[in-house]
Amino acid sequence: MEVVSISNLSKIFNTGKDNEVEALREIDLTVTKGEFIALIGPSGCGKSTMLRLIGGLIPITSGELSVNGKTPTKAREERDYGMAFQSAGLLEWRTARKNIELPLELMGWSKAERIKRANEMLELVQLGEFARSRPAELSGGMQQRVAIGRALSFNPALLLMDEPFGALDEMTREHMQDQLLDICHKTESTVIFVTHSIPEAVFLSTRVVVMSPRPGQISSIVETNLRAGDNTADNTKIRNDERFYKKVTEVREALYGK
Amino acid sequence: MGKKLFLLLNKAAVRRILIFIAFLVLLALAYTAYKAFGQALDDRQRDWWFIGSFFPRTDDRNMPPILDILSEFGKSPRIGGETYISQLFSGALFTLREAFVAFVVGSIVGLVLAVLLAQSKLAERGVMPWVIVSQTIPLIAITPLVVLWGQANLDFLPWEWKTWMSVSVIASYLTFFPVAVNGVRGLLSPSSEHLELMQSYGASRVSILWKIRFPASLPFLFTAFKLAATAAVVGAIVGEISTGVSGGQGLGKLIFEFARTYAAAPERLYLGVIGAGITGLFAFGLIVLVEKTILNSTGQQIRE
Repeated sequence: MEVVSISNLSKIFNTGKDNEVEALREIDLTVTKGEFIALIGPSGCGKSTMLRLIGGLIPITSGELSVNGKTPTKAREERDYGMAFQSAGLLEWRTARKNIELPLELMGWSKAERIKRANEMLELVQLGEFARSRPAELSGGMQQRVAIGRALSFNPALLLMDEPFGALDEMTREHMQDQLLDICHKTESTVIFVTHSIPEAVFLSTRVVVMSPRPGQISSIVETNLRAGDNTADNTKIRNDERFYKKVTEVREALYGK
Repeated sequence: MGKKLFLLLNKAAVRRILIFIAFLVLLALAYTAYKAFGQALDDRQRDWWFIGSFFPRTDDRNMPPILDILSEFGKSPRIGGETYISQLFSGALFTLREAFVAFVVGSIVGLVLAVLLAQSKLAERGVMPWVIVSQTIPLIAITPLVVLWGQANLDFLPWEWKTWMSVSVIASYLTFFPVAVNGVRGLLSPSSEHLELMQSYGASRVSILWKIRFPASLPFLFTAFKLAATAAVVGAIVGEISTGVSGGQGLGKLIFEFARTYAAAPERLYLGVIGAGITGLFAFGLIVLVEKTILNSTGQQIRE
């Protein structure tokens, strides 16, 4: 089942003005349910722009883009998206649990339902004891886990993540990657994940989409899928596996154009 | 943990009060020292190597002794009459009532303006200049207008219009401004990430306002409320004097009386200054207390 379908998509900012910028050119991409797409490319190549276009936060200039067969705006209104950014973006005046409840409040869930789901999400991201903590009392990694719990809380059809682990140290980062995969398998989420890190892209994804410098175009797509559908695969083994390094090399070559 | 924090705050508060008192004593000492110096110049008609021509001379009329000022609090205009300290106390209460109403009215007007101004660039460009212009007009230019409006036919109101209400309206003219300006800053303070997140949930403008913008602006609003509280007291006193509250019992009326009879007792002028200062400080302290309670419970930082 196609979750995202993009054909011949272009995005130009400030059309017709002096500061006109062609951000994306002729993008074609199809994402099916359960896929984990990693978007990688040099700074300013339009990765984040692409994510925002898919999320319906900014309008497309030309081409076609549909999410679950709907326009992005419609999909947004129907709450098909869960989003997570580089900074956790938690509301400082809300406790961890209340932060997770935020989207549920907007969707009109009852209080009891909200609390129940928020507690489930906290368990899922292993922060059960921190329900009443405020963001300022949590470490960066813990905040990011709350943010992921929030993004997943309403079972969105599509998870859009913009360098969510970019600000974390390597150890926390690997731990979060393991957790994210685990959660995504449990919830059968479809993910589009923007990153600057080649190993992260390879480790997490089923496919890595490599983009060229501005104007952003898809220069190649690397099939990674190191788990081959086996969700119980040992993450440490995968990280040390020869195939992992091969794919890293492959993505690197695609990125730097040999 | 919570209890420890509370104790710590208390310790800091005690230290702050001690420092305040120390400065007060220093101020009194400096006053007394200069008074002695200025008086010596005056008494002996000395010039002491030209020093005398640089420093103003003083006497008991323009710098009454501090003890005289303090003892004036206990005196009364007539034998057996109400002491000045008790007059000042009831005056402060009267003025605080006006200031409180002014604070509430001004804050509501300021908040409504802030929400309006934060909604669109157009609203801000259209209305903000008028908000600023409003503050360039001196209060005493407004007062006769407000007094006139107060004398208009206000029978449609469910309550009787009293002069002190006009004073509150005048004072609220000073209070809405900081609330409006800081309110706009607070409402626009959420990061684009928070706003995009809300957008991605398909949140309406109203829920963005209610769940993001308004809570985010709380620390900004309390900064404004502190300014507004002191402005409300000043506004109420100026309002009382310029409306000439007939039969009013506020601080403004007392200050006016003290000024009228200063020739007989210059010490009394200081009673007005001290009374107004303490009243303003009280209003300020009250807001600080509420600010601490609320921002502690929401886990937000107090903006200095």
